Amino acid sequence: MKAVCWMGTGKVEVHNVDDPKILNPQDAIIKITRTAICGSDLHLYDGYIPSMESGDILGHEFMGIVEEVGSEVKKLKRGDRVVIPFTIACGNCFFCRKDLWSCCDNSNPNAHVAEAMYGYSGSALFGYSHIYGGYAGGQAQYVRVPFADVGPIKIENDLPDEKVLFLSDIFPTGYQAAVNANIEPGDTVAVWGAGPVGLFTIASAYMLGAGKVIAIDRFPERLALARDYCGATTIDYSDGKSVVEALRDLSFGAGPDSCIDAVGMEAHGTDVVATYDKMKQALMMETDRPTVLRQAIQSVRKGGTISIPGVYGGTLDKVNFGAAFGKGVIMKMGQTNMHSYLQPLLERVEKGEIDPSFLISHRIGIEQVPDMYKVWRDKKDNVTKIVIDPWVDTTAA
Amino acid sequence: MSTTPAIDSSTVRFPLTGADYTPLPDDKKDGHVRAHAVQTVNADAMTLYNLWRNEMALPIWMEGVVSVTRTGDTTSHWVMQAPGTEKQFEFEGEVMEDIPGKKITSRVNNGPMEGTTDTVTFEPHLFGRGTVVTLVSDFVVPGGLLGNAAAAIGSRSPEQITIENVRHLKQLVESGQIPRVTSQPAGPRGVIGKWKEFILGETNPTPPGTSEAEQPEDLPRKNLVGGAK
Repeated sequence: MKAVCWMGTGKVEVHNVDDPKILNPQDAIIKITRTAICGSDLHLYDGYIPSMESGDILGHEFMGIVEEVGSEVKKLKRGDRVVIPFTIACGNCFFCRKDLWSCCDNSNPNAHVAEAMYGYSGSALFGYSHIYGGYAGGQAQYVRVPFADVGPIKIENDLPDEKVLFLSDIFPTGYQAAVNANIEPGDTVAVWGAGPVGLFTIASAYMLGAGKVIAIDRFPERLALARDYCGATTIDYSDGKSVVEALRDLSFGAGPDSCIDAVGMEAHGTDVVATYDKMKQALMMETDRPTVLRQAIQSVRKGGTISIPGVYGGTLDKVNFGAAFGKGVIMKMGQTNMHSYLQPLLERVEKGEIDPSFLISHRIGIEQVPDMYKVWRDKKDNVTKIVIDPWVDTTAA
Repeated sequence: MSTTPAIDSSTVRFPLTGADYTPLPDDKKDGHVRAHAVQTVNADAMTLYNLWRNEMALPIWMEGVVSVTRTGDTTSHWVMQAPGTEKQFEFEGEVMEDIPGKKITSRVNNGPMEGTTDTVTFEPHLFGRGTVVTLVSDFVVPGGLLGNAAAAIGSRSPEQITIENVRHLKQLVESGQIPRVTSQPAGPRGVIGKWKEFILGETNPTPPGTSEAEQPEDLPRKNLVGGAK
């Protein structure tokens, strides 16, 4: 089959590799009909997530048709149409039973690597480095899905792939970000990053009762989606003016009730400390650039909540923790507990409350993926979301 | 070697409440490596005990075990594979103490690991979260501490094997299988990719668990795991 492989920092190639096989009795093989490139794939592309091995198949947002199931799979059968959550969970450990699916104890074969870095290991993810399990990802024509009775959600309606594909990651991730933000009716919520997760966060914040959502970004096409499709008030920070001050004004002096960091470890900024972070990260003296986190801590109102769906990987410098303490701030973060949100969010899509396909800007074949990683990283060509049909032949065009 | 004092198995007990914490043995000296692992497993003690006591089935979930044959009520013949090599070695194992549902202490009676002891205890979690499994091992390492250091490079020091074995038991019982990524498709790994695979311990074979493809022959696969969903 054809698969998108990580071949080193800034290097992604399409290779012909073996088809995946059933390795465990609860596995299923899925023929992928649609897959996507995620913003968090850029952390891999840019080499900031450790423990990638050249040859790794990328991709953790995908859906398709069940091709084959293992002997212990009871709920799925060949021909079923499914969306796969990007976190892999066993469904029966202490954490899964507490709905902390992204903390599953039993899905990561490389748990010892995560334990060495993080103390304990979270659940495994598809196509997201060997700390997170080393599972082959879904920017490919086929994929092996472990615990097939636990993760995949069956799509039994006739909604097109593009309307349900984002249940695999970015819609639930944005939704959990809003849930973690403890939003009360009428709250003002600030969201850094109007990329795919940020846009779903804005939409979800309104679903949960937010009065006003403020989006912070620097790309006009993203701010336009946030403003026109999601109904956010927007701040373009590229002019170098203070985001903290703008947020104070827009929240009528109090600070936003909730601040959401939908950017993570590769944040951009316009101030001196942001430049310092960029240098330190380039010299490998710092793993993450916490510009957004600092702004969120500084901006949030007293006793407010900071929710962090943006990915962080290592250690952070110069975090204004005193401000967080001084204001009594609540913080919640982590990979998405996907399995909790699949069914309720599918129902919202079925009822027409949201059409998740609104943010798609590019539809491509698998051969174009390496070029599009570059476009995606550099935010060229007004890109807002790239969806891949791994079977369409684009070589002739 | 038989004069080397083994761990006093009566002291191997995880303090459940009302006691000062005493570190479990974790040291290297006199050619011995002492290591321990603790996990809370979502299953009852008897299920876990039965699985551990079923020597014939150990190759399914214990790392590096090729086969175990029962030779008496308390004795068995083991074939093991050294981590990171094709080299196999054999020895006689003996269960020294056996308290059903609670504790098993066993010893290696000959071969390169002669004098190695394992003590595993199963205690109910105080607040109903399953069973606390504590494994304390006293390894006599082939090649001494130098051999131990060599094995550690590929993420399979005796300390790590102790941790992984308890983890595999937990995975098998709680989720019905041992997660694996070996032999899945990948693009060309290249030299650096292969080196990383080795360093991260991915070249160590994952025990088959309930995987049919890699099941050792003549082993009863069904009904091994009582606690799985």
